[in-house]
Amino acid sequence: MHAYIGAKIYPVDGPPIDDGVILVEDGKIAGIGGDLPIPDGVEVVDLSGKVIIPGLVDAHSHAGMWGDGEGEASQDGNERPGPITADVDAIDSVNPHHTSFASCREGGVTTVQIHPGSGNAIGGLCFAAKTAGEVVDDMVLKAPTGLKGALGENPKRGAGKDSPKTRMGTAALIRDYFARAREYGRKRDEGKSPDPDRGLENVLRVLEGEIPFRVHAHRSDDIVTAVRLCEELGIAYNIEHCTDGYLIAGFLGERGIAAHVGPGLSSRGKVETANRHEGNAAILAAAGVKVCLVTDHPFLDARYLMAYGGVAQKYGLSFEDTLRALTICPAESIGVDDRVGSLSQGKDADFLVLAGEPFSFKSPVLATFIEGVEVYTRPTL
Amino acid sequence: MLAITNARIHTGTGETIEEGTILLRNGKIEALGKDIDVPAGAEIFDAGGRPVTPGLVEAHGHVGLANEGVGWEGDDVNETIDPVTPHISALDGINARDRVFDDFLRGGITSVQIKPGSANILGGSAVAVKTGPNNAADDMIIKANTGMKAALGENPKRAHGADKDRAPYTRMGSAAIMRDWLFRAREYVEKRTASDSKTGYDAKLEALAPVIRGEIPLRIHCHRADDMLTAIRIAEEFDVPYTLEHATQGFKIPEYLAERRVSCAVGPSMSREAKVELEGVGFETAVAFQRAGVPFCLTTDHPVIRALYLHMIAGKASAAGIGPDAALAAVTASAAEHIGIADRVGSLETGKDADVVVWSDDPLDGRSHPVRVIIDGEIVYERE
Amino acid sequence: MLAVINARLHPVSSSPGRGGLLIREGKILEAGDIRVPEDTPTIDARERIVTPGIIEAHCHAGLSEEGIGWEGNDGNERSDPITPHVRAIDGANPEDKAFRFFREAGITASQLTPGSANIIGGEQLVAKSRETVFIDEMIVLRPSGMKAALGENPKRVYGPKKSPATRMGNAAVMRKWLDRALAYADKKDAGDSPDFDMILESLIPVVRGDLPLRIHCHRADDISTALRLAEEFSLRFSLEHVTQGHLVADTLAERDVFCAVGPSMVHEAKVEMRGNGFENAAKMVRAGVRFCLTNDHPVVHGRNLPAAAGLLQAAGVPAAQALKSITLAAAEHIGLGDRMGSLDVGKDADVVIWSGDPLDARSFADVTIIDGEIAHCRGGDSGC
Repeated sequence: MHAYIGAKIYPVDGPPIDDGVILVEDGKIAGIGGDLPIPDGVEVVDLSGKVIIPGLVDAHSHAGMWGDGEGEASQDGNERPGPITADVDAIDSVNPHHTSFASCREGGVTTVQIHPGSGNAIGGLCFAAKTAGEVVDDMVLKAPTGLKGALGENPKRGAGKDSPKTRMGTAALIRDYFARAREYGRKRDEGKSPDPDRGLENVLRVLEGEIPFRVHAHRSDDIVTAVRLCEELGIAYNIEHCTDGYLIAGFLGERGIAAHVGPGLSSRGKVETANRHEGNAAILAAAGVKVCLVTDHPFLDARYLMAYGGVAQKYGLSFEDTLRALTICPAESIGVDDRVGSLSQGKDADFLVLAGEPFSFKSPVLATFIEGVEVYTRPTL
Repeated sequence: MLAITNARIHTGTGETIEEGTILLRNGKIEALGKDIDVPAGAEIFDAGGRPVTPGLVEAHGHVGLANEGVGWEGDDVNETIDPVTPHISALDGINARDRVFDDFLRGGITSVQIKPGSANILGGSAVAVKTGPNNAADDMIIKANTGMKAALGENPKRAHGADKDRAPYTRMGSAAIMRDWLFRAREYVEKRTASDSKTGYDAKLEALAPVIRGEIPLRIHCHRADDMLTAIRIAEEFDVPYTLEHATQGFKIPEYLAERRVSCAVGPSMSREAKVELEGVGFETAVAFQRAGVPFCLTTDHPVIRALYLHMIAGKASAAGIGPDAALAAVTASAAEHIGIADRVGSLETGKDADVVVWSDDPLDGRSHPVRVIIDGEIVYERE
Repeated sequence: MLAVINARLHPVSSSPGRGGLLIREGKILEAGDIRVPEDTPTIDARERIVTPGIIEAHCHAGLSEEGIGWEGNDGNERSDPITPHVRAIDGANPEDKAFRFFREAGITASQLTPGSANIIGGEQLVAKSRETVFIDEMIVLRPSGMKAALGENPKRVYGPKKSPATRMGNAAVMRKWLDRALAYADKKDAGDSPDFDMILESLIPVVRGDLPLRIHCHRADDISTALRLAEEFSLRFSLEHVTQGHLVADTLAERDVFCAVGPSMVHEAKVEMRGNGFENAAKMVRAGVRFCLTNDHPVVHGRNLPAAAGLLQAAGVPAAQALKSITLAAAEHIGLGDRMGSLDVGKDADVVIWSGDPLDARSFADVTIIDGEIAHCRGGDSGC
């Protein structure tokens, strides 16, 4: 057992604790509080003057999937040609030895939801993983955590002969495929054993409520189309990117939707991102949307997720909401809040030691812990 | 000053000194021999009776042009825009920080001649560099322009004729293109040197001028015996210096080559018959050259065979019949001669560059490895 | 009958010792202390080392022929990523020169395998390196496995215009066809007669666990994906290449996965081969991974397999284990551990008499015996 003492702790699911104690045993938090007795024989680590927050949770990442700096050989994010590749599973494309995971650990990201790319109308299964390990299967926190969908520019840019050419074409493809999945399910339930098809089976998992549909949409009309489709199909869903969300904040807020907002610190690189506004997160949160700040790594390097939080605050997101948008909100959205996203007894000992108050450029991550193991230590410069 | 003591010194020129000492100072070999006094204050490395050789010399490679473990992005070997690109220079393509240089040091190779690939009839200028410390290619240079790469046989006609649907399509076509440009270059040199010259600058012809003037050799890639003879035919027609690279079927014409003292970089002999023109690849050529007296060195043609195994190739050649002294020379002194840098490297002699390798055991045994590699008097690689 | 006497026997299955071999009808009749009947043709090994024949566990000989070009290249049926119905027997040319080089180098058997362009590439076989024009006369086991591939190769060949274009696409394509084959096999078992489908027919022994799926994978995550797929479908399987296996060595050891590691002699030719070298293989051996060595002929010529084992020894693996990795361990990998790979009574009489230490690259196979017959004799004083 280890005891980390002296630091100011932001547990996220409770008020901050000055001069707090965290007890860690077997990778779990054995106790947390301001005035906690420290059992005998415990190794004590004094973190006076430092700050502890939960490990960050990045709900939209492509870590290990696009091998930055490795060229075509490691481009494994979009199974082309689409437009429907519901049968692929992101876990089969992830290289744990890739530098992107080192970036995550350096940036304090301890949990990621890894998505297939957005090149296809239905892109494949997402899963959640910790960011340290040698074998991806051993890093998995939950799999699958969702089915990736995409609207807007990306799928209609696809090279496949069946690729959609318009936004309405994309919607029609998704509707049609879900209808086929329903038919497949009906046959299966009637004991007719249809020819096995993983793509249709994965869509059935969405239709049956096992996993949500996670829909990439930037422009407000694409976001509204996503809502329309998912309500029509009666499925759980959330919006990925949600760039124009602030323009229709009320519409989204009244539905209590989760929005994975990002990549932060980015440019207006495409027509569909022309309205990008740094106040998006704040406006959405105020309207009642569950906001999660995401890197979309490599589009924002995972090292800078905390800086993105700082900018979101600068444009109106409260300190508390920013912290939640990087921890417990994404944990809930992914469905792993029983394990991560806040610091309380029984949860995984995933936490960061910061040099000072979070979100300041003067408060670098000094150490990152995953399940009690120090997986990143800031090098002395 | 660094002193290597208690060494079995193979000088690379056929001489072996038991229990010898080498003194290295200011990047040069200051003294070597059996009874050398080690000056006070010198750093001493006791070789423990193990073999010491000159740093090995790889006469032919595309090191740093074909980056390791990278795809298209790191491939800068062949400028296939045109079959005639004498104006490009290997020096401008070398990634000095490429991981491959580690491989060279691990194999005890301290000097290498780097050339453009063999897709083009006239492919660009070669450069000889040290293999470490690898910070900037320019700091590693031994000799800046060691020759003009040229190629005959299958590669140019495949890269251009078959792949790009343009000349050359045939071996005759390749020869014609080479002749055409040597003619033009000869004329260019004559006109440009005339006092009233109105001939304008031409990058390609300018690059060929040192060949015409006899300052650098054509280094002609050829495998099949008939391609080797075509190379010699053209070079003699223009009376330009030349060497042969690969010379795979040299075993068919050793006397012809010996008569002319044609220097050949032979290899990669451990390879397979990957192309028709490689028929008969093996160590027969090295053996035939040794018997007939053709000057030759051995090459890995990295990455075809990993440069790391140059010493093992020498071992195989030795066993095939050339004997250990000639085998070691073929990857040291003879290779340096072939490149034209023998005044600096390739043998352990007073005044030469302090490029020295201490081996774990007999360097001709594939299982041996360098324990110390020294370049210009600095230890650049250590392994125990 | 044939006898080998006065040998330093390295039986691989037991410690080396002096003795001989008595061979009858292609099998080892007696080993060690033998009694040679009168008039038995006898080879006097004169204290040379005698080992079992070397086995290349992963080989494209006969399919990717030497010195011919595309005419002799029948390794990859690139028409579709799923071709389990193609068979090595229909593509392998017994007259490929590689088999002659194998005999000369002591390589007595090899598993011939389709290439790695396809997710499921076709049926493999094991052949002796006998001199014949009939492939059937060479075959020991057919099918010996079903070739499969993950990583860069399939997605490079088919993507981005066709699936697979990514690693997850590779896995999805494999799952799709294994799903279909299972459904097809279930239907047949249930007495339904589904429409005949040759692709699915060929996969039945794979999904039923009768035929090993031999999965090409280099990068550590591709290895993990192979294990994930094999486990999902309860396959019999082996891993081929396993370049970064050292990163997941404990997992491989724990699950007792058959791994054919190599070609370790080659440079980092692709991104997925970063870090390639014998150190990785040595780490896997130390972790207790079930292990044999391959040169992936012709990527590195199969005749250099003993040299590769020497380099494995140089990386820290004991000589006996290095020799085992190209004999008995290779035999076990290809499913023939009871027939080949050691000098035990009752096993095939595949025997090599070496001029020196077999793991020294300078040694020659003086005599190669396949199924009790002399398949190669180096001549001179080699003893036959």
